[in-house]
Amino acid sequence: MASGNNTLQGKVAVITGGGTGLGRAMARALAEEGCDIVVAARRIGPIEETAAEIRQIGTRGLAVSTDVTVSAQCNRLIATALKEMGRVDILINNAGIVRKELPAEIWDITDAQWHEGIDVNLASAFYCSRAIGKYFVERKSGKIINVGAGLGFRGMRNSVMYPTAKSGILGLTRALALSWAPFNVQANVLVPGFVDTADLQPAEQKAMMLARRNETGRRLFVPVGSQGVPDDIGSLGLFLASDASNYITGAVFISDGGGLAGSLATTGYAPIIELEKELL
Amino acid sequence: MTAKRFELNGKQAIVAGESPFWSKYIAAALAKAGADVAIIGKKSTRMDAALNEVKQTGRTALAAVADVTSAAQVKTAVEKVHSQSGKIDILVNVADIRLGKPFLDTSENEWQAVMTGNLVAAMNTCKAVGPIMLAQKHGRIINLVSCLAERGMPNSSAYCVAMGGVLQLTRALSLEWALEGITVNAIGTGWFKEDKKEAFNEADPLARYIPAKHYGLPDDIAPVVVYLASDATSFTTGQFMYVDGALMAHA
Repeated sequence: MASGNNTLQGKVAVITGGGTGLGRAMARALAEEGCDIVVAARRIGPIEETAAEIRQIGTRGLAVSTDVTVSAQCNRLIATALKEMGRVDILINNAGIVRKELPAEIWDITDAQWHEGIDVNLASAFYCSRAIGKYFVERKSGKIINVGAGLGFRGMRNSVMYPTAKSGILGLTRALALSWAPFNVQANVLVPGFVDTADLQPAEQKAMMLARRNETGRRLFVPVGSQGVPDDIGSLGLFLASDASNYITGAVFISDGGGLAGSLATTGYAPIIELEKELL
Repeated sequence: MTAKRFELNGKQAIVAGESPFWSKYIAAALAKAGADVAIIGKKSTRMDAALNEVKQTGRTALAAVADVTSAAQVKTAVEKVHSQSGKIDILVNVADIRLGKPFLDTSENEWQAVMTGNLVAAMNTCKAVGPIMLAQKHGRIINLVSCLAERGMPNSSAYCVAMGGVLQLTRALSLEWALEGITVNAIGTGWFKEDKKEAFNEADPLARYIPAKHYGLPDDIAPVVVYLASDATSFTTGQFMYVDGALMAHA
């Protein structure tokens, strides 16, 4: 039996980008509450690992190799989930990619790079939502969780694709939420901050993430002073997947250690300014 | 030179509130665009400097001395301006009472001074000009509001709260008076310095946060005040317009 209180028992969640990092953390958190999980990603290895972990937790775990940038494969993912699991209650559009190797100069970005950025980070969420939408609406129940990013709200110099696509996630989510609100289908945005996912990465990424673990630069942007842990996001995903969020739709939920609340100055910048004397 | 459609010729403006340096630059900009300008605030060298700027343009400068935290005094001051000019077209609230202190060290008096100096002052001036602008079926209210109205910062609780209050007053009033020919907008101020366009050195803790890589100058704000004060913006209300070197756009 799963280790939680089985509040999601009998339910099925589809999680894209579920092989590593935050996707795996959310898969675990939902499974602990009894949820069956379908994990999707292009590479079969990592999602098989996640699925095995899910089965170890005690619910059904299924890995479906999917290139989420191809709409036919998203359709197939949803169809497979419905066929193998019998139902789908929750869709977490988590697939995303930050391409560090993108050219710094915007004029050097190719059409192919533009389309990849949009396809992986935004179109994938549209494809999967479209594939499940009619089913959710007809049965009058369903939850869509789209993973956003702080860069969906703020910009960064020479960073184009990720912020562009992630701000698109906000618009997509509002459209889904408003269109399907009369049918008891909720769509919300989950925004993670800097999270240390080194332990949930395959070897090559793990080395990179470990090197980053103690980077002071990252901490400077996080008011609580440290990066988040995967469970921070797993818990938020669980909340938005649970009945606790049934009246919440079209909303943005952020777990970022306070990052977006501040960021007018470096974390810890706390000026002392005396009141002008005559004002007291 | 002010663009034709932003000219303020013949308009009566009020610049109200205590601040380290805004009054002078805002008053000068309004006067250069053609407005007569009254300053409401305490008698001070800052007020004199603002009046002087207006006089130098040839427009009428009027000192309406008042403690802006007193509703009665503000009402009297506004009436004085109104009786002299017969109208009040523009109100700019420039109050900027700063306090940087840990929350627990902030005394009740300090908290009150920040609330009254920033928020109550804006409330008093809006209340005093409200009936006049409603009767005119025309008015422009422009509040200078720190971007800390929308973000937090350590040691800034009182200031954040007060500025957040002015921003919400802006939004609420803009709706309340939307059918009355009165627009109410806020200008979001980022990191500013009065004197010079100081380039950052990278060690400055703020350097990363201002993509423009230098502090703003008061004259960066002034043209936005003129724009919002002009007849060109009658459909623009309830807005919070940042003038911040991309501070708020940046992660």
